[in-house]
Amino acid sequence: MKTLFKELHEAWLATQFTGFMSQTQSRQTLYEFSNILFKHLTWLENDFIKNKITYNYNIKQVPIRVTHLSSMLNNIIQRITSIESKLDSCGDGDITFRMKSDLEYMKAVLAQLPEEEVAEAFDINRAYPNVELSEEARDALTIFLFEESYKEYELIMVYNYSKANSNDAFLNRIYQILIDESFFHLRSFGQMMADMGILGVPRSLMEEIYKFEDLEQFLKDGIQEEIGAKEECKQLAAAVSDSSEHFASFFTFINNQENYHIALMEEALAHINNK
Amino acid sequence: MNADAQLIEHMMNPKNYGDMPENDATGIGKNPQNGEKVAIYLKVEKQTDPLITDISFQAIGCTTTIVAGSIITTEAKGIHFSRAEELVSTTLGMLDNLPPEDAACSEMVALALKASIDTYAERQKDANFPMISYIIKTDCTPKEEEA
Repeated sequence: MKTLFKELHEAWLATQFTGFMSQTQSRQTLYEFSNILFKHLTWLENDFIKNKITYNYNIKQVPIRVTHLSSMLNNIIQRITSIESKLDSCGDGDITFRMKSDLEYMKAVLAQLPEEEVAEAFDINRAYPNVELSEEARDALTIFLFEESYKEYELIMVYNYSKANSNDAFLNRIYQILIDESFFHLRSFGQMMADMGILGVPRSLMEEIYKFEDLEQFLKDGIQEEIGAKEECKQLAAAVSDSSEHFASFFTFINNQENYHIALMEEALAHINNK
Repeated sequence: MNADAQLIEHMMNPKNYGDMPENDATGIGKNPQNGEKVAIYLKVEKQTDPLITDISFQAIGCTTTIVAGSIITTEAKGIHFSRAEELVSTTLGMLDNLPPEDAACSEMVALALKASIDTYAERQKDANFPMISYIIKTDCTPKEEEA
């Protein structure tokens, strides 16, 4: 089942990032399918926990550089076929029955999605449509997108692990909101990376990142990181404000969203300190 | 760090990234200032001058660390320990020419490679020798933040 879990994790990322390449309605289908695969991942994770089986989020790198969307769609279909062949390794028949039904449907839909040329998502042109960026702003935005796309993936997995391994309803509500927020940010940044021709799947996580022992310290560090991210957004908004009002307001919007994340983490911190 | 095309390639698709459960030696390079670290895993062919047949790395760190890890592990794959030690020395010797935050990342990767080589060497004498960790000397605070 550990191989099944790993392959599912890789298929989720492959599907999510293929969604970023697409410039058509296929993007929405791929987003929805990636949501389903992520949900499957949490089902298997809960089964590991229920059966007291240790697990981790180690995965292989997920290659996505293609010229045509069909190459990735075929790749995802192959990944799903491999997942289907391993479903029996999960002992919970209810879970695998539901997964099988979802996976069969997804394969049929993926095979019908229209062809698209997607080479521009990887051509490193770093030009943003309808925006003129100075070299300095372009470099800053490039580094920001790599740092933050990884960070959002990391946060999704950290909060997911924390949620899966906690029975505290108050904390789990906060973890779920933070997961949803990070999904939104990952999708915003992933689309921007594709538009700039620098799309890549984030690297895998070291176990100690999500298997931390001190939740209080994790939250304190998290608040500091969010404050740092706010500052970066502020600087980026200023750097691009001359060339793009849209960009500047986007980064101001992201900056303000970080306030909500900080408030949630402070709420979680207060909760564990009052216990 | 300037984001030129070659470096962006390493950001989009870092070479040799990931764990290696069946490794012959692991080494760690650490930055105690900010908790960042790099782990390097080696697969080694036993020879008078051992050969690095495979190498991978993982990091808790920034994009610069990932780029440095991708470049240095690519250089180290398929070379003997004597050449890998030269690679470590050359990298450490170039740190003064880099901005402090970039220097700290490169030092962390170079020290992780050194630690993995040293761990392997020690394990030839004592199979239970613990994994070696080295701590970087470079202060990674950017100059403008020091004031």
